[in-house]
Amino acid sequence: MKRKNILIVDDEPDVVVYLSEVLESSNIDIYSADNAEAGWKLAGEVHLDLICLDIMMPGESGLSMYTRLRRTPDLKDIPVIIISGVEQEQEFDFRKFVDDEKTPPPEYYFEKPINVDDFVAVVERLLSMKEKRKKKGHSS
Amino acid sequence: MNRSKPIAREISGSWFYKELFQQVPFNVAVIDHNYNIVEANDNFTDYFGRWKGRKCYKVYKNLDYPCLGCNARLTFEDGRPRVSDESGVDQHGKEAHYVLHTAPLREHRRGPVKYIIEMSRDVIETKNWQVEYQLLFERVPCYITVIDRNFKIIRANENFRNNFGDVMGRQCYEVYKRRKTKCPNCPAARTFKDGKIHHSDQVGVKKSGERAYYVLTTSPLGRDVDDVAHVIEISTDVTASKKLEKEALEAERLAAVGQTVAGLAHSIKNILMGLEGGMYIVGKGLKRNNKQILDQGWEMLERNFNKTTSLVKDFLSFAKGRLPDLKMVNPNDLVKEIVDLYHDVAEDVGVELIAEVDPNIKNVPLDAKGIHTCLTNLVSNAIDACRMSGKKTNRVCIMTEDKKGILTFTVLDSGAGMDSEIKSRVFTTFFTTKGGQGTGLGLLTTRKIVKEHGGKISAHSKKGQGASFKMAFPKKRLYALYNENNREESGE
Repeated sequence: MKRKNILIVDDEPDVVVYLSEVLESSNIDIYSADNAEAGWKLAGEVHLDLICLDIMMPGESGLSMYTRLRRTPDLKDIPVIIISGVEQEQEFDFRKFVDDEKTPPPEYYFEKPINVDDFVAVVERLLSMKEKRKKKGHSS
Repeated sequence: MNRSKPIAREISGSWFYKELFQQVPFNVAVIDHNYNIVEANDNFTDYFGRWKGRKCYKVYKNLDYPCLGCNARLTFEDGRPRVSDESGVDQHGKEAHYVLHTAPLREHRRGPVKYIIEMSRDVIETKNWQVEYQLLFERVPCYITVIDRNFKIIRANENFRNNFGDVMGRQCYEVYKRRKTKCPNCPAARTFKDGKIHHSDQVGVKKSGERAYYVLTTSPLGRDVDDVAHVIEISTDVTASKKLEKEALEAERLAAVGQTVAGLAHSIKNILMGLEGGMYIVGKGLKRNNKQILDQGWEMLERNFNKTTSLVKDFLSFAKGRLPDLKMVNPNDLVKEIVDLYHDVAEDVGVELIAEVDPNIKNVPLDAKGIHTCLTNLVSNAIDACRMSGKKTNRVCIMTEDKKGILTFTVLDSGAGMDSEIKSRVFTTFFTTKGGQGTGLGLLTTRKIVKEHGGKISAHSKKGQGASFKMAFPKKRLYALYNENNREESGE
């Protein structure tokens, strides 16, 4: 399997370290940014297979970066996992924050603190789905 | 008694006196000792009707017996003229109000009183006006009192009496506020002094012991502005709307409690994530027997424990509800303190911290400690925003202004700014953009302190263009709070 590039965008250094450790594997390269602008720059430079994105960050918010990603043809297909302390059931309503129907919701949402096993499983699933889609795209 | 000779004939038969008797613009009647009307002019006849051979009490009041306290009788006895307000019936049987003058008629200067002349004039119009004005005064839906220079209440309307009890002749400060001495900043005293109208917000005590909030206007009574003899005090009771305001505040407080709990959970989740990360890495370090990984994990654990400590500390200081302790202070001094305190910290991260204060600002009642906390929060936020902006030179400016009765503190920075999503949340939950550095309570606490002062805080910013936070305090409210606190302190 080809090496995978994952970008973690979170202003909290402990989260970056934690997620990097969790995802550490011989097959994955981790890139990280502590704000959306830096993350956006990396997304333009590196071919990414997955982005883990925080919502509340200084400067541009994670949701604003997410919307930009989805509107950019070259980047719109990168799977995104949003990881935030915002409670999904009561507070995080994607459409409340992004009311543009053209912007699809993210692939997955994790509430902090994460369940490591679930997180790893979701990451693996999203990476393999992307792989399959790519293969399918090539074969057709 | 001589009844037979009409008096007109007795008064010398001169045409002049006859004409005078007829034309004088009063109802004139002459009565004898037995209450018989012996002569009357045409005005009298037009007003009261037939009189010849009838008793005065029958003609005036349709009574079958003399009136109680009959003035004519008294004048017969002592020879002194009298005036009285009377009610009777006119010739059509309609109620009549008239002022009656009685005077003695003597044949000789020192002789006995032979007749009484009664001159009356209809005052029903005046009476109606009086009733109307009285009604207006009594029933108008506000409190009205009139006080003299000794602050004694000489008139009070029905609404006021109903709410404040028997008040006539008592000192206004005693009645309105149950004080033993004049109120400080008494608006009536100012009106007595300058003859001008003054408005103020007041808190008093009703006869039921209930607090009354009212808006008072004092106005001079009388023509001479230089020498005001009486002041009229008109006030509107706003207790009901105050209650509503309190209820709304309470509802807002309850909603805030919900938000606070949600926010607290959010902060704790972030810390838990850090703790979990630390444990995960420590576990990994142990498994691999790798000291470097172990140290990394341990540091993470320590950091997140410290975060818990500061969260709890901030949370407690936020939760501590207290009334602002208002003292007269100069806002510029508070700003100077903050600049002195943060100057070096700012300089270390390449931020120039300056103050632009209005030198004309005078002392105002503020809770110095509370405002210090607010300014500390805003300035440290501003410095952080500058630090995160990535720009090389940054500036944070604290400004004060006193305009149109509003005292304003503004903290301006050239930092990273906020987008609209962040701006809409900064004052609400345990929101933080500082990751591990912040607890998200600073602005919430600041807002709370500002609100406790009766002020407002607002944020203005565009992403990438810095931000400004403005705390605005209406001075009228600061003084009202100040007076209320002082009242409570003196046990009133």
